[in-house]
Amino acid sequence: MVKSYLAKDRCLRLAGSHLSQSSMEYLLVVALTLAIIVPTTYLFYSYSKESSQEITDAQISKLGRSIVDTAESIFYSGQGSKTVIDLNIPDGVDSALIIDGRELVLNITTNFGTSEIVFFSSVNMTTTSSNCIANICRLPEIGAPGIQKVKIEAISNSVKIEVI
Amino acid sequence: MLVKNSIKSQAALEFLTTYAWAFVIIGITIAALYSFGIFDFSKYLPQKCIFPSQFKCLDFSLKPTEVKVKLSNNLGEDITITSLQITNDAVTPISCTAPASFDWMHATEKDIIFTGCSGGGYIPDVRVELKISMSYFAINTPSRPIHLVNGKINGKVLSS
Repeated sequence: MVKSYLAKDRCLRLAGSHLSQSSMEYLLVVALTLAIIVPTTYLFYSYSKESSQEITDAQISKLGRSIVDTAESIFYSGQGSKTVIDLNIPDGVDSALIIDGRELVLNITTNFGTSEIVFFSSVNMTTTSSNCIANICRLPEIGAPGIQKVKIEAISNSVKIEVI
Repeated sequence: MLVKNSIKSQAALEFLTTYAWAFVIIGITIAALYSFGIFDFSKYLPQKCIFPSQFKCLDFSLKPTEVKVKLSNNLGEDITITSLQITNDAVTPISCTAPASFDWMHATEKDIIFTGCSGGGYIPDVRVELKISMSYFAINTPSRPIHLVNGKINGKVLSS
């Protein structure tokens, strides 16, 4: 009776040992997977955050240069010349201003604060008179992300920039 | 019956004892790794200096009491830097003596040096993230409006 009980107990222990081994292996595999995934995710996230910042900066530079270059080109084409350009406004552009007719200022928000990206024009820029107060003209539509159509037209002694 | 119960409870106790020790060992190991900074993954990121492309950051160095950053004026305009500030997200932010205002010709490079830096966790061999704010105006713009530009330095403070 006792012999058969001990034999059964040995069997149970052996089975338990196998079970605990597989549990331990499972835990080790999960731990190793997490140890690889967590730092990798963090590193990729940090890289992508910095890269997106650089991409936004490049998009904004292209946007500003595009407006100013087109304005200069249209101005020197003569009064009455006009064109419409499609601009892709990236996220992060809060507003746009023209100061003194020569500075196109884009206010942008980045993950390390608000900055002003300024583009200088050799020709006088302006917009619809209702958006101008003293030497500052606002381009409120530029603050909305997405595709915007911008009309650039040479008028008497300046270039009129307006979102249509 | 008594023998059977005794064997079962012994097995359970042995199981618990073994795993308790395992958990204690794992806990101590994790605590030790944490204290040695193994889980500070940010140190594996590259050291970087990010400014808008109009003031491209060419180089930087973080000495124990000095922050130096080399920027290029890509605005296409001569400007005057009116103020410079450096800070970070620490409870008591870093404090440095900023350079005085200066003129900056277009397409030229400048070394901007903050001296006497202290506080804000600015300690040798520690990785820091610093924010630099710069105000300027264009010399040729009649009303001379002040513009603000922000940049960021992420790097390790040199030991000497």
